[in-house]
Amino acid sequence: MDSRLLMTLEVAVVGAQKIGAVPHGTRVTAPVASGQFEGPRLRGKVLPGGGDWTLLRGDGVLELDLRLTLETDDGALVHMASFGLRHGPPGVIAALARGEAVDPSAYYFRTTPRFETGHPKYAFLNRLLAVSAGDRRPGGPTYTIYEVL
Amino acid sequence: MRSRPLMTARLSTARVQTIGAGPHGTRVTFPVTGGSFEGERLRGKVLPGGDDWTVKRADGVIELDLRITLETDDHALIHMTFEGIRDDDARGAPYFRTTPRFETAEPRYSFLNRLLAVGTGELRPDGPVHVIEEIL
Repeated sequence: MDSRLLMTLEVAVVGAQKIGAVPHGTRVTAPVASGQFEGPRLRGKVLPGGGDWTLLRGDGVLELDLRLTLETDDGALVHMASFGLRHGPPGVIAALARGEAVDPSAYYFRTTPRFETGHPKYAFLNRLLAVSAGDRRPGGPTYTIYEVL
Repeated sequence: MRSRPLMTARLSTARVQTIGAGPHGTRVTFPVTGGSFEGERLRGKVLPGGDDWTVKRADGVIELDLRITLETDDHALIHMTFEGIRDDDARGAPYFRTTPRFETAEPRYSFLNRLLAVGTGELRPDGPVHVIEEIL
């Protein structure tokens, strides 16, 4: 698969809301406080108000449903939505849950972001698919996002 | 990003249902009548009864939304969906890319429940072909 770097996105999550055992699994909602992104074609910050709506399934896989608004340094707003999966060996997942720094190659954390914008300069984002590798650092996830060519 | 081949899926489709201009764009539904899939780890047929529910947006890009059932040659059923886009105006060639997902209850194929994938599509005279890779 050919791809090229689109951006690195760092997100700070604060105050996880543990809804608990719901019909499809264990629901935890992670509000996004702030963040930033940088890439060859765009850079800027993450606006507050987004979140990652996560669901821990019975097979141990965490489904992630991230929605954010990005603001570029030249004032364009970009809606981002990203479905993902995260799983790994129990000891590794437990270390992440304790807020420890863990080598991201020890677990599988991958997402497929999509973008929407009304700004003509960034309209190319409306016409591409992307994949990302996530790194769940103690303060929040960092995503290295690639455009699928 | 690293990836490895998962399967090539060839779909047979029946005459499209052109629902027409709806709130999101032009709705065209492609009924899937059958097909086949093949990869190192799994192979079999596409069962009839699925569809690709597409919408052509105002900017010319077609959004795809497929749901089908696969049956492996050893009789496991796999629910497969994808979202994606087809941009016939993309420079060079149509940009036809999807993000397939899978669900199965068969332990032999449960690895499908735990991966993300990317597909490259091509329209051929006898139906669309999707070359699908697992995202490592």
